[in-house]
Amino acid sequence: MTITVEKSQVKTGTTDVPVRGRKRRPHWAHLILTPMAILWLVPIVMVLGLSLLPTSNPSTTAYGLFPAEPSFGNYIEIWTNNPILQNLINSALITVPSVLLVMLFGSMTAFALARLRVPLKAVIFGALTLALILPMSSIVVSVFKILQSMGLYNNLLGLVLVYTALGLPFAVIIIRTSFLAVPEEMYEAAVLDGAGKFKVYWKVYLPLSKPALAVVAVWQSMSSWNDFLLPLVTLQDNELKPLTLIPLAYRGVFLSQPGALFAILVLISIPIVVVFLAVQRHLVNGLSGAIK
Amino acid sequence: MTSATITRPKPRRDWLPGTLFLLPTFVLFALFVVYPIIYNVQASTLDWDGVNIGEFVGLGNYTELLKDPIFVTTLKNSGWWILLTIVPQALIGFFLALLLNEKIRGRSIYRAIFFVPAVLSPVVVGIVWQRMLDPFNGVFAKIGRATGLEFLTKGYLADPKTAIFAAIVVNVWMWTGFSMLFYLAGLQLIDDSVLQAAKIDGASTWKTVTAIIWPLLKSTHLSLLLLGIIGSLKTFELVYVLTEGGPNHASEMLPTYTFKQAFQLQSVGYASTISVVLLVIAVVSSLSMVRAFGSGFLTGDDKK
Repeated sequence: MTITVEKSQVKTGTTDVPVRGRKRRPHWAHLILTPMAILWLVPIVMVLGLSLLPTSNPSTTAYGLFPAEPSFGNYIEIWTNNPILQNLINSALITVPSVLLVMLFGSMTAFALARLRVPLKAVIFGALTLALILPMSSIVVSVFKILQSMGLYNNLLGLVLVYTALGLPFAVIIIRTSFLAVPEEMYEAAVLDGAGKFKVYWKVYLPLSKPALAVVAVWQSMSSWNDFLLPLVTLQDNELKPLTLIPLAYRGVFLSQPGALFAILVLISIPIVVVFLAVQRHLVNGLSGAIK
Repeated sequence: MTSATITRPKPRRDWLPGTLFLLPTFVLFALFVVYPIIYNVQASTLDWDGVNIGEFVGLGNYTELLKDPIFVTTLKNSGWWILLTIVPQALIGFFLALLLNEKIRGRSIYRAIFFVPAVLSPVVVGIVWQRMLDPFNGVFAKIGRATGLEFLTKGYLADPKTAIFAAIVVNVWMWTGFSMLFYLAGLQLIDDSVLQAAKIDGASTWKTVTAIIWPLLKSTHLSLLLLGIIGSLKTFELVYVLTEGGPNHASEMLPTYTFKQAFQLQSVGYASTISVVLLVIAVVSSLSMVRAFGSGFLTGDDKK
């Protein structure tokens, strides 16, 4: 809405004097932001456009951004002819449990480190911080072998556990900072009132840390939903594969149907973009609570 | 743990609730973080295909790695990646954050537009940009042909000289919004009165930004620097999808090379060696940053 208004401003280049009297003068920053936003959107527009390519005549117009004859055929095609629903469910079966577990275990650990008496607190915290930098790719070989020996190879539970383990350090660090910001007197008062430690954690600390939890939820959803490497090496059955494996697994098939490929890319992206938009307004606050 | 309980005067029961709170994290962490690292180190001393019993070769894999020209390429590429992603992402991200910290119309739409690439799967981003940069059907090529700008029509991903830089450009598109979000968060913590004072003193906007705001965001810069270094070293998916490390290993990164050795060439011992080196580089660079600047920027503590 704003963007279209601003676009005309950019074209005519009239920012100094508002032409028609009373209208609120747009901020000069739009002059920079609008062109940049358009530039940033080009790949997104392209993937949406190409997902509408018809199967019969996949030629494009407007600099390769839009199909000459748009059609929703690809969406129908991937929904009916490929077992894409199962892949979508698999992605959810991996993502949802790992997000919930990371939030639960991460906040429990954060609570212990922020408010409870724990042996070797500094060492534990140091180890967690160190694990924050652990590249997944540097342990994927051994994780693959470990899952095999645990009987969790070719199993979604294995993925959930690994994602949870790798997501915990970030979650603990973000949530702990947010817990530390809750006055310690509140903890003491609640304990004096006879509330158990778990109750204080659950009823007092968790509700006060929603922005931090939102950051963790988005971050973990992204890492679990978007990951490609771990399912690539630990899942064999096609019925278990999450969405991210599909584009490359069927690369050959998609060569003749570029539109279907881009429709799948759109499908992979929709859930995660929705999650992001849903918590977007918490993100900046949650982050600034965490990095202060 | 038992010996510690004896030496401390506090009763052991005191630790029990805290330890129970830590237990799930501890178990998962031991199983999927600590044990894999040990496993890796051990496997790096073996000549092993991952199936049969490996043969102990001591540091043999490491000496071989030092002589491996592809390893040198991965290090060079990581260096380029670190330099050419962190700096542009920080500068553009900071600039966007400054503009979007103002109360202008549509700012949450702008923020969403710049951040959305960061939430997409690298698989999606990789395939989309493969098409964008396609010399026949790509958007750049079509614009290039329509406008006569020849350089846009080249196949940058297929050229060994440019492949890694093309991948870096894609990375910048993907992660600049992330830097912007960090800077927005950092800007929220700057006390308004400082900026008011600067205004009263007659400081120019340029002066306020460069001499006051930029230095005040030190811990944000450091967090992004560390995340950028680690993220660069970690890069796998984007490169794997865009170029598969090619052509002829020209855009190989440490993780893509590890992957090839382990899962395509069945040299699990050698792959573990690359993994250990990658881990050591990551740990050393982070620890030296913590040593140089303190750990506050990482943990959110004021001082430590």
